[in-house]
Amino acid sequence: MLYDIFIDPFVQMYDMPDFFLQVLWEGFVAGILYALIALGFVLIFKASGVFNFAQGIMVVFAGLTLVGLNENGIPAYLALALTIVAMGVLAYGVERVVMRPLVNQPDIILLMATIGLTYFLIGFGEFVFGGEPKQMITEQLGLPTGSTAIEMGERGLIILQHIDIAAAVIAVIMVTALGIFFNKTRIGRALRAVADDHQAALSVGISLNQIWAIVWFAAGLVALATGIMWGARSDVSFALEIVAFKALPVLILGGFTSIPGAIVGGLIIGFGEKIGELYWGGLVGGGIESWLAYIIALIFLLFRPQGLFGERIIERI
Amino acid sequence: MNAFVTDKTLAPAGELEPAEREELLRVDNVSLSFGGVKAITDISFDILKGEIRAIIGPNGAGKTSMLNVINGFYHPQEGTITWRGKVRRKMKPYEAASQGIARTFQNVALFKGMTTLDNIMSGRSLKMHRNFFWQVLWRGPAENEEIEHRRKVEDIIDFLEIQAIRKTPVGRLPYGLQKRVELGRALAMEPELLLLDEPMAGMNLEEKEDMSRFIVDVNQEFGTTIALIEHDMGVVMDLSDRVVVLDYGKKIADGPPEEVQASQAVIDAYLGVSH
Repeated sequence: MLYDIFIDPFVQMYDMPDFFLQVLWEGFVAGILYALIALGFVLIFKASGVFNFAQGIMVVFAGLTLVGLNENGIPAYLALALTIVAMGVLAYGVERVVMRPLVNQPDIILLMATIGLTYFLIGFGEFVFGGEPKQMITEQLGLPTGSTAIEMGERGLIILQHIDIAAAVIAVIMVTALGIFFNKTRIGRALRAVADDHQAALSVGISLNQIWAIVWFAAGLVALATGIMWGARSDVSFALEIVAFKALPVLILGGFTSIPGAIVGGLIIGFGEKIGELYWGGLVGGGIESWLAYIIALIFLLFRPQGLFGERIIERI
Repeated sequence: MNAFVTDKTLAPAGELEPAEREELLRVDNVSLSFGGVKAITDISFDILKGEIRAIIGPNGAGKTSMLNVINGFYHPQEGTITWRGKVRRKMKPYEAASQGIARTFQNVALFKGMTTLDNIMSGRSLKMHRNFFWQVLWRGPAENEEIEHRRKVEDIIDFLEIQAIRKTPVGRLPYGLQKRVELGRALAMEPELLLLDEPMAGMNLEEKEDMSRFIVDVNQEFGTTIALIEHDMGVVMDLSDRVVVLDYGKKIADGPPEEVQASQAVIDAYLGVSH
């Protein structure tokens, strides 16, 4: 038993490096995708101190809008542009109808509001696009679909899906762009200010409405990118919403307020899940992928409640 | 007790008699209620350019509500506010801020996770004109602007003598320093009218002396008009040019400190007589 837990997996890793590398790659891709989802949560949490329950459904909604428009004969790139506009309208609408009347309310009220938004978007999405899963328009968007096999001499080969490589590249670009946007512009400071204290932010002339609309729009763009990437790997369906909650352990790991945290957290969960499942999962009959992430997060919580990169909560008493 | 304040008669603003000064803000017949509770009833007063105007009164008299009305947090049901000679329409706090009204809060409202420097920088939000798309696309001009703002902020930090805590997250600072940082943030807005809600609450004598000195300096060196709420009568009588006294949401006295101090209504309000 002890041999199976502590020694055998490592022997396997050594014996079959091609398999191990393949697992690492799978973990990396899964991690990147988790990170993308988590990023959407982080943006809104940073700006309003609210866990945006609706982020998952926004991913679905963005994906469905894109595919739905294309199904109705709109060329893929135009559909993409229109979807971006739609996310802008959604952001403006959320700010106007949901956030604005709730300024200065406790966070729990805002959380409830995002749950309401979730149900609204589910209903609205089903009403407009129907409940059937749809195929992502991967090729029409010019995303690669093939795969490359890398030979490793006599030790086997690794297969890389092109869409996974594209996902990784797009995620890196998005994260960098958002990082620059929020760290190097005055918006970044305003964002943190708004998250800290609504009244004080207003008193120095920061417009909550503007900041919230910007942040929800950014979260919408992240949701769209996530929707395309997840959709390309499976289908675009309302089931994706559940996948989005995989972002929770990622957030706990990385800290709710940190963009780099979302990335590192995503990667740790991604690697952890795949390696755990394939090397240790067999010991308990497999299927640990679905809950291992939460266990990892729980262990982290014990040692770093604010997450790896989260802001330390400082309170003078 | 009164010795620490510099002689105000030397001040440029102090050379003018109140009557000769220009009116900066006027509140006319303002009433504000929350549901059935009347917070402010039919209050009128003015604030003249360059003066230090104190608003005093017992707890619950409506002083903070009055400040909230002036900076746009509350909208009075009745009455008008005239700002720089024009009747102001209903206005959001950030609009009031963009017109030159800055404030501090009774219970210190700072951005706790941010450093002193960032907190004060946030006061420059409205002064940064390069819009954020430019900041992303082309860093040059935006960077120059940032440096320029940073210089202004450093001046304020020097002025308030808080160099040592520039990089400290404000949540870690003792209360007195937090109040000072909050003043710094308001000053960074280069306001025309500075509203201070109990700037010295909870401070020891030494801290009060420092704060009084800063307030007087701001008023004299930058010519900033100040409206302040304060409970320490010694401080109020020393600092202010004119005092308005509220009680139960009504104005009961208005005038120079000595006059107000002698008013029977004020004495009654503070010592308590049956109403």
